Amino acid sequence: MTALRIEFFKCRRRKIWLPLLIMLAAQLAYGMYVFRDLDAKELQEGWALICYNFPMLNAMMTPVIAAVAASRMADIEHKGQTLKLLETVQRTGQIYDAKFFSGAIYLTLSVLIQVAAMVIFGIVQGFAGAPPVGRLLEYAVSTWLTTLTIFLLQLVLSLLIQNQMIGMILGLIGSFVGLFSLLLPPSFQKFLIWAFYGVLYNTGMDWDRETRISDYYFIDFDLGGLLLLVGYFLLVYWIGRALFVKKEV
Amino acid sequence: MNIIETHGLCKRYGGALRVNHLDLTVPEGTIYGFLGPNGAGKSTTLKMILGLVRPTAGSVTVFGKAMDQRSRLEILRQVGSLIESPSYYGHLTGEENLRIVQTLRCVPEQEIRQVLQIVRLDGQRGKKVAHYSLGMKQRLGLAAALLGFPKLLILDEPTNGLDPAGIQEVRELIRELPERFGMTVVVSSHLLSEIDQMADRVGIIREGELVFQDSLAALHAHSSHRLALRTTNNAVAVQLLEKDGISCSGEEDGYLLLPLLPDNAAARLSRTLVEGRVGLLRMEERQKSLEDIFLDMTGKAASL
Repeated sequence: MTALRIEFFKCRRRKIWLPLLIMLAAQLAYGMYVFRDLDAKELQEGWALICYNFPMLNAMMTPVIAAVAASRMADIEHKGQTLKLLETVQRTGQIYDAKFFSGAIYLTLSVLIQVAAMVIFGIVQGFAGAPPVGRLLEYAVSTWLTTLTIFLLQLVLSLLIQNQMIGMILGLIGSFVGLFSLLLPPSFQKFLIWAFYGVLYNTGMDWDRETRISDYYFIDFDLGGLLLLVGYFLLVYWIGRALFVKKEV
Repeated sequence: MNIIETHGLCKRYGGALRVNHLDLTVPEGTIYGFLGPNGAGKSTTLKMILGLVRPTAGSVTVFGKAMDQRSRLEILRQVGSLIESPSYYGHLTGEENLRIVQTLRCVPEQEIRQVLQIVRLDGQRGKKVAHYSLGMKQRLGLAAALLGFPKLLILDEPTNGLDPAGIQEVRELIRELPERFGMTVVVSSHLLSEIDQMADRVGIIREGELVFQDSLAALHAHSSHRLALRTTNNAVAVQLLEKDGISCSGEEDGYLLLPLLPDNAAARLSRTLVEGRVGLLRMEERQKSLEDIFLDMTGKAASL
C-alpha cells in the first residue's frame, strides 16, 4: 500500500487523469451529437445501440490515451534517473506492480464514469426499458479488461525503453489496428490485443441494404474471448515484470 | 572490521571485462577514496556493491553479509547512496522528493528538515527540483542519501557539477561524516586532488583492475625524492658518475636523474664533473608528485 500511495504522490501535478478526461469528454460529445435526434425505433433499441457504438470509440481512442498515460507515468523515472535510487529502497517488482495498479485505478475510474455516463444518457434520452444491468456489466467488464491490457502493454514498453516516442508510435498503431480490426473475422481478431473491444461485443447489427435500416440487438457474451484476454493480460504482466526486474539500471 | 569486502568481483559487458577480479576492502569508520579515470569501472563497481548490477563473477559482502537479491534490501537499509548523477522528480519540490525516500526508508519525517539543513537547501525546499541548478540537485541527492543517517554512504562523484565553493562545502561535509554520525564513506572520483583532501584510504582502479589499495599515507610514501642535473655533456657525465659509483636512473627533458645524495656525495659529484671538464648547469632536488604516481598507475593524466 505504501508503494501505491507513493506512486500517486510521485504523479502529483503530472495530471495523469487529464488525457482520460479529454477522451471521456470527446466520447460523450460524440454520443450527444450522434444520438441527439433518435426516432421511436432507435429509442426502442437504444441500449444495444449505445453498447454497439462505444466500443468503436474505445478501440479508436483508448490505445493512444493509454500510451500517453503510461508514458507520463514511466517518463518521470527515466527523466530523473530515479530507478537507481528507488531500487535501493524498494523491490524492483514492487515498483512495477505499484506503477501498474496506480494507472489501473485511473483507468478503472474512467471506465466506470463512461458506463455511468451511458446510463444517464440513455435515461435522459428515453431509451426503452430500464437500463439492462447485466448487459452493461458485460460491457463494463470487457471494456475494463481490454483497456487494462492495452495500458499494461504500453506501460511495459514505456518502462523498458527510455525513448517514449516508441510507446506513442505503438499507441497510434494500436488505435489503427483496434479500429480496422472490427472489420476482420473474429477468429483473426483474437490474435490482436487492441481488437478485443470488437471480440467482446455483446451487441450485433443488421443492415438491410434495400430499406437502408439498421437493427441493433444484444447477442451472447463471448466468455471464451474474455478468458483468452485474461490469459493475454497475465502473460504480458508476467513477461513485463520479469524483463523489468532483470533490467539493470 | 571491514564494512565492504569484494572478492574476485567481475562484470562483463559484451566481450569486455569492465570490472576485473576486484578485491576491495573498506574498513569501518574510514573515508575510502575510489579513484580512477573516467570509464575505469568505478560506477559499475559501486552499483554491484549496491546490488543494482549483477556481478558476472565474484562476491560482495556488506556489513559481513553476502549481498544477494534476497538480502539486498535488508542490507541497504543501512546504506545511503548517490550514483552517477542525482535522482529526482523535476515536477516535485525538493521536500517532496525527500518525502518519497523518507516514506520508503521508513525514517522519521523530521529528518527531511535535518538533512536539508545539512546540505544547506532548507531555503529552497519548496521550489520544484526542475528549477534547481545542477549543484542544488547534487546536494539534494546527497540529502536523500543521508536520510536515515545510514552507517555506510556510497557517493559516486558527489562534487560533479558543483562550483568551487560547493565542492569545498561537500568535501568538508564528507570529511565530517565519520566523526559526526559514525558513518563509513566510499567516495569515488576521477580527481586525485579531491581524494587526497578527503580520503584516508585509497583504491585506484584502472581498466577494471585494482592497481593500488592502501592508506593515503602509503600512497604518499610512493613519492620518492630524486636529484636531477643538467650538464654541458650528459653522455660523458654519465660515464664519469658511474666511475664514481653513482648510477643514473634515466634522463628526462635533458636532465639526468640520480638517487638523492647526501651533501658530501653531492659535493664530490660536482668536483668529479669539473675535473672531467663537464660543466654543471643545473642541480635540482625533485619529488615524484601524487599526479606522477597516479599517472604511473593508471597510464592516464591525473584528471581526465
